[in-house]
Amino acid sequence: MRYLKLGSRNIDEFLGRISNYGDLYAPQKISEKFYDYRKVEDISQVEFNYNRTITPAKKYFIPPKHEMFEFDMETGEYTETMGDVKPFVLFGLHACSIVALRILDGVYLNEYPDKYYAARRKAGIIIGISCLPDEYCFCNLRRTDFVDIGFDLFLHELPDGYLIRVGSERGHEIVDENMDIFEEVSNDDIENFKKFEKKRHEMFKYEGSFDNLRYILELTENSPLWDEESEKCLGCGNCTMTCPTCRCYDVQDLPDIDGKHGKRIRFWDSCQFRSHGLVAGGHNFRETKKDRFINRYVCKNAYFYPLGTSYCVGCGNCTYFCPAGIDFLKNLIKIRDVVGEVAHGEQ
Amino acid sequence: MESSDNVYSLYKCRLLRVYSLTDEEKLFLLRFEDSDIAESWSFIPGQFVQVALPGVGEVPISICSSPMRRGFFELCIKKVGKVTSMIHKLQPGDCVGIRGPYGNGFPMDEFEHSDILLIAAGIGMVPLRSVFMYAVDNRWKFGNITVINSARYGDKLLFRKELEAMRDIAEAENIKIIQTVTRDPEWPGRVGRAQEHIKDANTDPKNSCVAVCGPPQAYRSIFEKLIEAGYDPNKIYVTLERRMKCGVGKCGHCIAGSSTFLKYICIDGPVFGYYDIISTPGLI
Repeated sequence: MRYLKLGSRNIDEFLGRISNYGDLYAPQKISEKFYDYRKVEDISQVEFNYNRTITPAKKYFIPPKHEMFEFDMETGEYTETMGDVKPFVLFGLHACSIVALRILDGVYLNEYPDKYYAARRKAGIIIGISCLPDEYCFCNLRRTDFVDIGFDLFLHELPDGYLIRVGSERGHEIVDENMDIFEEVSNDDIENFKKFEKKRHEMFKYEGSFDNLRYILELTENSPLWDEESEKCLGCGNCTMTCPTCRCYDVQDLPDIDGKHGKRIRFWDSCQFRSHGLVAGGHNFRETKKDRFINRYVCKNAYFYPLGTSYCVGCGNCTYFCPAGIDFLKNLIKIRDVVGEVAHGEQ
Repeated sequence: MESSDNVYSLYKCRLLRVYSLTDEEKLFLLRFEDSDIAESWSFIPGQFVQVALPGVGEVPISICSSPMRRGFFELCIKKVGKVTSMIHKLQPGDCVGIRGPYGNGFPMDEFEHSDILLIAAGIGMVPLRSVFMYAVDNRWKFGNITVINSARYGDKLLFRKELEAMRDIAEAENIKIIQTVTRDPEWPGRVGRAQEHIKDANTDPKNSCVAVCGPPQAYRSIFEKLIEAGYDPNKIYVTLERRMKCGVGKCGHCIAGSSTFLKYICIDGPVFGYYDIISTPGLI
């Protein structure tokens, strides 16, 4: 891997330069409590230290609502509508968010590649940034706390700038075209990088791995925990909307007012909604709130074989944004019964 | 309906014949309008297509004809919801949008040189008719064949007349057709659930492939009867249904199974083997 350094004095210049490659989107503070990816109009608004955004980066690749086709009800023709997909730069993704995009790649670019997703993925430059965990983060248990591929550039915080990893051909090109703002990595930088990694590692609340969780989940389907916890659930779907790997969608044909034309649109759906498993005739494959509640735990903890991780990347969003205070991680630990688990600071 | 690089693109198909099978189910014969598609399109028994009506929506429907007839295919559609009700109003000459075929289908290559036992309950006859017609069209590749078609009432037996009309060819070709009903006092023929007639099949349990389709609640007791009769669990296949929007493993509505075996029914299924079913809570 190619490593470079970006000194503090060149950070604003760096943001300016990358915005030449397309519209720049980055995390910004949008309210007292929340951050979100927004289009950068003013570089000083870009937030380098944030824990999580209110909407995940998936929205740039699977928009919450978009048009797939226009149709003509008289001729029965559907015409593809790709929409305006232009180059963009997505700055400030954490490691878990990048793994999440790779999981989406595995699904959306499978043997039946989704053209809408593929076009947006191709148009987007991904620039990652290092982070420090808060009490909701457990990417280390998911083994998604570090990424080797899936980004063009990745910035690791140093006391006086960033250590940059180059992760793609496009990353190399960006670096080559802007060599005047980068420096060689010094021994001090390497020491500082190691210190940051150590500090970061020690900040995680739990150690270990959740790899065996999927078996235990299967074996504890009758645990009373599911009744207790699903009872609290409001069925609002916040957990899935804020999840970086939840990717369910619904499709509807919406006729125009003239009754002759219309649009086929797709929009985010959630397995927490009653309509998700409902079929014509009234049968529901996930009839009760408990069915839907368990479904999310099962789906998120299932193994995504192409990547060798679970579908859950341990970002903590579902817990952080749950209005009912349902703690995903705590429930998983309860289910697993914490044998041999060492919580930092508890020994 | 042009760009074929878009997996969601629909191809126009014309309805050639509409035939009422029961008061709820109609059989539609369709043909692709585009001659290149008509020429190249093929499928495996057990696969399904998405049928679209502009402005109304899309529904997944199993193909019920034999893949041996190029460019034409048949769909048996039950009137249950918004889209299927609109499809039922269509007449010969009308068009629908079709994309697919999707799903894994039955492993017909593995069925070769074996006897074939098909067990259908209710609308389960639809995908199994495709297997049956394919086997009849390739008669020399397969051993004895038995079809067990069951429903609650005689007039709900799908393809009843067609199967009755095949009696002569069946006799000549070592094919046994069993049609049975569970709740119809007027029915002159066999009564009881499909699994109760497994013993009368002309298939050799030691060398048979079994395909089952019906309401999932029936599967466990059908499995029991099959294994009791000596059929090899490794050669028992079922087909499942779920709500599907995309058919290509993305929209998530058909996700089923458990955390060690999470499957998109539309691409990993809809056909699953016996051992997949019994080791995966939530699949049936």
